[in-house]
Amino acid sequence: MDFNKMSLFGMVKSKLTWLGQRQEVLAQNIANSDTPKYRASDLKPYDFDELVRKEAGQLNMVANDPSHLPGRRRRIRDYASIVERRPFETMPNGNAVVLEEQMAKINETQINHNLMTQLYKKHLSMIRVAIGSGK
Amino acid sequence: MDDIYKTMRISSAGMRAQGTRLRVISENIANAGSLPSAPGELPYRRKVITFKNSLDRAMGLDTVRTNKVVEDKSEFVKKFDPNHPAADQDGYVQTPNVNTLIEMMDMREAQRSYEANLNVIKSSKAMLSSTIDVLRR
Repeated sequence: MDFNKMSLFGMVKSKLTWLGQRQEVLAQNIANSDTPKYRASDLKPYDFDELVRKEAGQLNMVANDPSHLPGRRRRIRDYASIVERRPFETMPNGNAVVLEEQMAKINETQINHNLMTQLYKKHLSMIRVAIGSGK
Repeated sequence: MDDIYKTMRISSAGMRAQGTRLRVISENIANAGSLPSAPGELPYRRKVITFKNSLDRAMGLDTVRTNKVVEDKSEFVKKFDPNHPAADQDGYVQTPNVNTLIEMMDMREAQRSYEANLNVIKSSKAMLSSTIDVLRR
C-alpha cells in the first residue's frame, strides 16, 4: 500500500512541500529586510494546477553497476516564485520589503502547515479504523 | 523538511548580519566624544555598514552578508571651546560626525530586524515539530 498514491496523502504531501518552500522564500525576504535594492518575492499561489500536474514524466537514470553515477537530482521541480512588482513602500536605499506583510505571511504559512499535519493525522486515524485497531 | 532547515540557516545569517551592525553602532556611540588631542588632528569618524544578498556556495543558498565597514564622509561638527588643547586659532574644536539620536534609531531598527528573524526561526521550529508530531500515535 503506497500512501502517496492515495489522493488524500498525496494532496497533503504536495501542499506541505509548497509550504516548506514558501517558508524558505519568506525567511529570505525577512533576512534581507535591510539590504539595499532588495525586493521581496513570494511563491505563486497554490492552486488546482499544482495538484494535478504530471510529475511521473521525469525519469531518473538507472544504475545497474555499483560504479555507475547515480544521476541524483534535488527535486523534481521547484514551485515558481515571483518578485513582487508593486511593493507597498520602498525605502530610500531601494529596499522594498514590508516587514509586517512578511510576518503575516509567515504566520499564515505556519497555520496552514499545522492544518495540513492535523489533516494527515486524521487520515491516518481513518485508516486505523479501517484496519480495525482504531478506537 | 530540507526547506525548513534552510529557512533556519537563512534567518541565522540575517541575525548575524544584524549583530555586526549593532557592533558598528556601539563603536559609534562609544566614540561619540572622542576628540583630537592636538590642533590639526582629526576626531573619530563615524562608521557605516551595509548589507548585500550573496550566494553561499557551501549551502547553495542566497544569504545575507555584510559589506566592508566604510567611513561616513560627512563633515565634522565644529564646537567653540578655546580652552581645549586641540582648538584652532579661532577657538574651534572638531568633534566627531556622530549623531547619537541617529545611532539610537539605527540600533532600534537593528533590534527589530533581529527579532523578526528570531520569530521566523520560532515559526519554522513550530512547523518542524508539528511534522514530527505526526510520527506519534
